[in-house]
Amino acid sequence: MKRPVNKFGITVLAIAAITAALLSVMSYFSITSAALPNLAGIVASPFRAVSASITGYLRSWNAYLTEFDELKAENEQLKLQIAEMEGTVRQAESDREENARLRELAQLREQRRDLHFESARILVQDVSNWSSMLTVNKGTSHGVETGDCVVTEEGDLVGVVTEAGLNWSTVRTILDSDTSIGALIFRSGATAVAQGDFALMSEGRLSLSYLGTEPDVVSGDLIVTSGLRGYYPSQLVIGYVEEVRASDNGLAQYAVIRPEADLDSLTQVFIVTSFDVVD
Amino acid sequence: MLPKSYLAFKWAVYGLVTLLLFAVQSLALNHIRVLHLTPFLYPMLPAVAAMYEGSRRGPVFALALGVVCDLLLPAPFKGFYTVVFPTIALFSAMVAENFFAPGVLCGIFVSTGGLLLSGAFRILAQLLSGGGHLALMAQTSLGETLLTLPALLVVLPAYRMVHRRCAVDY
Repeated sequence: MKRPVNKFGITVLAIAAITAALLSVMSYFSITSAALPNLAGIVASPFRAVSASITGYLRSWNAYLTEFDELKAENEQLKLQIAEMEGTVRQAESDREENARLRELAQLREQRRDLHFESARILVQDVSNWSSMLTVNKGTSHGVETGDCVVTEEGDLVGVVTEAGLNWSTVRTILDSDTSIGALIFRSGATAVAQGDFALMSEGRLSLSYLGTEPDVVSGDLIVTSGLRGYYPSQLVIGYVEEVRASDNGLAQYAVIRPEADLDSLTQVFIVTSFDVVD
Repeated sequence: MLPKSYLAFKWAVYGLVTLLLFAVQSLALNHIRVLHLTPFLYPMLPAVAAMYEGSRRGPVFALALGVVCDLLLPAPFKGFYTVVFPTIALFSAMVAENFFAPGVLCGIFVSTGGLLLSGAFRILAQLLSGGGHLALMAQTSLGETLLTLPALLVVLPAYRMVHRRCAVDY
C-alpha cells in the first residue's frame, strides 16, 4: 500500500493552508471586499445575472404551464385567446408588481425620511444547509458598504451586507447562525438580541436571546431593531414572536421569531446605504 | 499536439465541465428541498476528479477549485474550501490508488467520504465559532450527503468523459 499522504500531498496541503491564510488575512484587513474576491465577484457577475434570469424564466414558465392547464380545464374555448394574451398579461403583472413595490418604497421613503435606500436585485440565493446568504447586484460603486442593512419594500429587515464588491454584495440574512442584531420588543420596550440559530434556520426562524431574568415577552410581540449605538437603523421590523422556550440548560428563556420578510420569495431588496441616528 | 498544450487543453475541459456542474448546482439543485435540506454538489467535484487524476494532479485541481469556491461562495471563513478540497482530493486519490479501481463503486465511496469530510470541517468550524447543536449538525451533514449522492449520476460520467477523452501518458 502506498503511503496515505506522500511528500507531494503534504506540499499541496501546505500550499492550501498558506493560500487559505492569505485569503483570510486579505478578507480581514479589507474594509470592503479584498481585491481578489472583488475581482472574482465582478467576473462572476454576468454569470450570476444569467443564472438569475434563467431561474426567473424557468419559474415564470412553470407558472405559465400551471396557469395554462387550469385555464384549459376551465375554459377550453378561450384557450387560444388566453395563450395569445398570456405574454401581455405576464408583462402587465410584472409591471404591476414592480409598480406596487415602488409605491411601497415611496411610502416607506415618506415614512422613513431618516433612511436612504438603494434598490437591488437578488442574483444568487444561497440555500446551503449551513448558512443563509444572498448575492445582490449592487456594490461599492452604488454606495453600498459592509454593515449596511437590507430591507424589503415594506421596511422589513432581510439581513446585513457582509461583503461589498464593485457591482455586487453579499448579504447575510437574519436567519444565518452568525447574525446578531440589537432588537427591541415593541410592546414593552425591552431590549434583547435577535440571533440566527442553526437549529431554527432550517425552519425559517430565528431566536430572541438575552431577555433578562424576568422576560416580558409573549407570543405575537412585534420585534424591531433597537438602533442602539447607531450600528443599524431603529424600528426596522424583524418579525413576530411565535413562542417562548426555555434554553437547553433551563436557566434562561429565548423567544422564537418568525421573520416578517418572506426570504424565500424575494427577488428585489433595498439596501439602507445611510441613515440618521435617532437617539 | 504538444504534451504541454494538450495538458492545458485537458484542464481547460475539466474547468469547463466544472463550470457546467456549478450551473447544475445553481439552476437545479439549489431549488430542491427535502426535509429542509438542499443537495450540495461542490465537495463531490474534487473527490471524483482526484479519483481519476490521482494523488498528484487531483489535489492541485482541488486546490484551484477551492480557491475559486472561496472567492465566490459563502463559507464559515475565507480559505475554508481551499483547505477542505485538497484534503478531500488526497483522501480520494489514496482510496483510488490503494483500495478500489476508479469507477462507480469507488466514486460512491470517495464522494460519500468527501461529502462527510466537508461536513466534518463545517461542524468543526461551527463549533469553533461558538455554535452548538452537534447532533443536529451531524444529522444535517449526513442528510446532505445522502441527498447529494444521486448527483453522482451526473458528476461521474462528466469527469469520466474528460478523463478518458483527454487521457495521455507523459
